[in-house]
Amino acid sequence: MLTSLEPLINGLLLGGLYAVIGIGLSLVFGIMRQVNLAHGELMILASYLSLVFLQLFAIHPMMTFLFVIPVIFILGYLIQTFLFNRVLEKGMESYLMISFGLSIILQNLMLLIFTPDARTLQTSLAIKSLNVLDLFNVPVILLVDFLTGIIVLGLLHFIMKKTYLGWAIRAATDDLTAARLVGINPRKVYALAMGIAVITAAISGVLVGMTFTFYPHSGTQYLIIAFGVVIIGGLGSLPGTFLGGLILGVSQLLGGRIIGPGLQLLSGYIILLIVLTIKPQGILGRR
Amino acid sequence: MVILEVKNLNVYYGGFKALWDITLSVERDQIVSILGSNGAGKSTLLKTISGLLKPGSGSILFHGERIDHLGPHDIVKLGLTLVPEGRKIFSNLTVLENLMIGSYTPTARKSREGQLENVFELFPRLQERKNQLGSTLSGGEQQMLAIGRALMSQPKLIIFDEISLGLGPIMVKHLYQTVNRIKQKGMGVVLVEQDVKRSLKTADFAYILQEGKISLKGRPKDFTEEEVKKAYFGL
Repeated sequence: MLTSLEPLINGLLLGGLYAVIGIGLSLVFGIMRQVNLAHGELMILASYLSLVFLQLFAIHPMMTFLFVIPVIFILGYLIQTFLFNRVLEKGMESYLMISFGLSIILQNLMLLIFTPDARTLQTSLAIKSLNVLDLFNVPVILLVDFLTGIIVLGLLHFIMKKTYLGWAIRAATDDLTAARLVGINPRKVYALAMGIAVITAAISGVLVGMTFTFYPHSGTQYLIIAFGVVIIGGLGSLPGTFLGGLILGVSQLLGGRIIGPGLQLLSGYIILLIVLTIKPQGILGRR
Repeated sequence: MVILEVKNLNVYYGGFKALWDITLSVERDQIVSILGSNGAGKSTLLKTISGLLKPGSGSILFHGERIDHLGPHDIVKLGLTLVPEGRKIFSNLTVLENLMIGSYTPTARKSREGQLENVFELFPRLQERKNQLGSTLSGGEQQMLAIGRALMSQPKLIIFDEISLGLGPIMVKHLYQTVNRIKQKGMGVVLVEQDVKRSLKTADFAYILQEGKISLKGRPKDFTEEEVKKAYFGL
């Protein structure tokens, strides 16, 4: 029983990171009813950008947030304004095609520039481990991931509840026509929402780069994790996304410990299937 | 002083002509009523004035400037606010958040504390329920919230689309008293209604629409019941 404690705790911590991965996808679907298939690639792009800044300035990986976040934000804002805004009100297909094409372009761009070698953002945090009460070990990097996740979700919650931008995003999600009638410009609010979503992708990308190794094609596996988080936790719910992340993290690590280390991903997907069967809109989902 | 002018407006709605050569005007401190049966074109007219629809031809001027090519979010900034049919409050926002988002435009934000006080004074029930979600309010309370939200945008002209729909007589009386108080604060008011009697009693000027055309216009006290029936039903 006690041997389950380590994967359980570590699964919860990993879940904090998973929640940040999922929230970007959830936000874009909530306000625009669209799925950004390039979400994973934007994350990994952030990982690579962090690598570049690391090598340029010899700073700690955590400091690269300062550089990576603005760059990715601007990229996200431009993508929404010049690509996605052009197919507003044209249905899901156009958006999916564009985002899919974008993911292919980004993947191959990263492959060209950075080669297919495995990379990681070197930090002693990834090697250190905390020994808790002699019962289990917690990799410090997972603690960092979880804490960052809490901060990000907390900030998002604040924005959504207490700022004009947050109210505007929620209003546009609720009733776009009524939102226009109070003065909200849909294009502008979509671009800002996309900007927030890519900032979360950037943050999770840097964290992923510190926690795991990454390749140009790593985006896909994180897109699938994002889907898993959102489906389990429910669309359109911040606490739901957090819960989804925790459940997926625990399912993977605990399941991996129970049925075998190579079957981590499978155990996560089994839980996903169970949730889809019992409550298809997600545990805390509204739609 | 004329604040809204509609000149020779023709509007097409999904391939068919909904409005024919509409000309009307609204002054400040005036309540103008637009009446008509279902399908007469009232909603189409309001959607076009507020920017949700674009006219085929004709012009709309607000304080002398053309607004017929602008989007709704720009028109609100100029001081023209629509309280839409069916209230359309934000169900997943609280009462207070609904009112706050009403003051979204830059000019409205500056005076939002004062406006909030005004709204709570007009509708004390909204203050009682300020932290409740919009979806938990009754029909009448939602209507009050929709009006309050519109007031938060600091409008110079406010358009009410069928505010008495689905509400009981006491609530309707309260709402119409509110409409008069709003007029007294110096705003122009456009009232669109199916309840003919009450809106003719309240309005300073009225237009009756029939099949997309203006069939009668003038001061309600000058109308005869015969005239109104004919203009409304076309019999």
